[in-house]
Amino acid sequence: MLLLETYRNQRLAAKRSPLYERNRFAKFLISFGVLFWIAYLIYLGTALYFILQEEMPNMEPYHVLNGTLVLFLILDFFLRFLLRTPVQEVKPYLLLPVSRKRVLDAFLIQAAFSRFNLIWLSLFIPFAWLSVRLFYGWTGIAGYAAGIWLLMVFNGYCSMLIRTLARQRFAYVLLAVPLYGLMLLVSLMQPDGQDGSFFMNLGEGYIEGNPWTFAGTIAAIICMAGVNRNIQGRLVYRELARAEDNRIKHVSDYGFLERYGIIGEYMRLELKLIFRNKTPRSNFWSYFILMALFAAALSGNAYGSNSYMGYFICLYCYCIFGLMTLSRIMSYEGNYMDGLMVYKETLYHLLLAKYYLQCIFLAIPGLAMILPVVQGTITWLVSLSYLFFTMGPVFALIMQLAVYNDKTAPLNGGIMSKSQVNTAWQAVITALSFAGPLLMHRMLTLFLPETAACLTLLAVGLLTVATHRLWIKNIYRRFMKRRYDNMEGFRYTR
Amino acid sequence: MIRIDHLLKRYGSKTAVDIPAYTISDGEILGLVGNNGAGKTTLFRLMLDLIRADQGEIAINHIPVSRSEQWKSHTGAYLDESFLIDYLTPEEYFHFIGRMCGLRKAETDERLIRFSRFMNGEIMGQKKYIRNLSAGNKQKTGIVAAMLNRPSVLILDEPFNFLDPSSQSSLKHLLQSYNRETGATILLSSHNLTHTTDISTRIALLEHGVIIRDIENRNNAALQELEAYFGQE
Repeated sequence: MLLLETYRNQRLAAKRSPLYERNRFAKFLISFGVLFWIAYLIYLGTALYFILQEEMPNMEPYHVLNGTLVLFLILDFFLRFLLRTPVQEVKPYLLLPVSRKRVLDAFLIQAAFSRFNLIWLSLFIPFAWLSVRLFYGWTGIAGYAAGIWLLMVFNGYCSMLIRTLARQRFAYVLLAVPLYGLMLLVSLMQPDGQDGSFFMNLGEGYIEGNPWTFAGTIAAIICMAGVNRNIQGRLVYRELARAEDNRIKHVSDYGFLERYGIIGEYMRLELKLIFRNKTPRSNFWSYFILMALFAAALSGNAYGSNSYMGYFICLYCYCIFGLMTLSRIMSYEGNYMDGLMVYKETLYHLLLAKYYLQCIFLAIPGLAMILPVVQGTITWLVSLSYLFFTMGPVFALIMQLAVYNDKTAPLNGGIMSKSQVNTAWQAVITALSFAGPLLMHRMLTLFLPETAACLTLLAVGLLTVATHRLWIKNIYRRFMKRRYDNMEGFRYTR
Repeated sequence: MIRIDHLLKRYGSKTAVDIPAYTISDGEILGLVGNNGAGKTTLFRLMLDLIRADQGEIAINHIPVSRSEQWKSHTGAYLDESFLIDYLTPEEYFHFIGRMCGLRKAETDERLIRFSRFMNGEIMGQKKYIRNLSAGNKQKTGIVAAMLNRPSVLILDEPFNFLDPSSQSSLKHLLQSYNRETGATILLSSHNLTHTTDISTRIALLEHGVIIRDIENRNNAALQELEAYFGQE
């Protein structure tokens, strides 16, 4: 009964999140995302069979895969950091006339039957269909699937224990090193008199339906569940009394922007928004790393003589941060839009500041592109024309979303939270902003020589940059016309 | 002066605000009282042009709020936490608001001195972002920011919420002295009848979006009438 109640409450909490509930596109996108990953894992499972068969013809593919099971466990361990622990969930139930241990038990049992434990089956079942079925038939596949599921349940409990302890003191994360280090060591060793490593035999045991293998895994699960029960029970009150030290050690003030008046003030606000909040900060560094990797690949001529791939990567490096940040334009501000709107023309200045800051950020890919230009993988004209085209039409198009974005994005919701999901408008305009320059460049080269095409892109870019105050004012005016609808949207999704 | 003219706001079939005509004169302190859902916050949001009226309009100093932004330069408001930029420290937030109102940093600092007693050493210099302040200190930050520009119209929704008794008393004195010194019009809503009647010169009792009583509050006389009304309820 308690098990069902807590399960139902968790489902409702997810379903009734304000942004999710009011955003049909978000629902679609989340379902699409889940289906995509399932399809991707199915593809990976199938491809792995053929790759392993070709690369290691002397071994059965499932033997090889079983030998690497520990790598899947490590990956699974990291993915689980997105999940909450029972000790975090138990708070609302503590004042109910139900034993604390029973509530914890309910959450622990739920964790065993979590759908998250089934995700890897999308990879292992297709793989088993191709490799295991030939030798052991359907029962082999069923045993393998059941075994992998049990292994993931065990891993879930290991991860839960470490995550629970890490909430008390982050250093406990290091417990993962001996745990998975030991597993890795065991998977590399091949004891005398045995055909394969521990994990190879474990996998084979599941496939053959060996009762001792299953019994051993179930015993390990029960053992880990017991340890979790004990530790979580002890930590409940410490978790409740948990007080984070919120004092700031260093306040970045970006005082050098003060000299630029009101626009400088908004640029400072924008910088603080990016670097003081978890979601925009994670986005910034993710895109920065991605951009650096792509720039390095371009410098290393990883795309060979394919000039269009070179153009694509160059444009990607310039656009990625602007597109991803500006596609959520006003969504972060939705958190305090009412406060901004009681001051005169604030949004116009804010839009200008956002634009200037994005233009300044373009210096990062601009510098990163120097190396590919020096290496000769792209020309300086391509780099320069894409830089100004991004600064001009690409930003002008993506900033139109300031008029249409009407859902608040949480500033500290985490990069994977579902409330990061964009609207249909965001998806369409982002895609258009990215594909537009490539299409335009391609079309121009049909009629003009390469240099003239690049110069045209550069000229269009410069013209749009020169008229930025006009189109930003236009965006501001259109926003003001829609302000009531947008503000209502922001308020409902806060 | 604030003039309300044939104002109507509905949410579906429910009338949130329905005020045919109402005028708040310069220098008045108007206390808005009413049960939950009476329409107090909706009326304030309409005054600040944060929601669209279905009919009618509100004018602050003869400027219709939905048709111009001029009224914003002499109006200060704090309704709830959504007015705060919570990733700034209170000092940064005050300086930011100051800049938006055309004040230099030194001017803002000078104006903040007036609020020292109200802030009680719990806001400035704490090395905390606003999001990490207590609810009471967030409330104080919002109220101070609303008054920073020395507005001639000040709108505060439930300003006594989350404040400890000393801060509530301090706020009452602050608002009264501000009204005396500047002649500003102050509008505040509250569920606390004693505080509201203590400082208001006039009380508007709102129920289901309609002003059902408009009470002159001489010598705190409105308190009895309000207590009688809510006691009957």
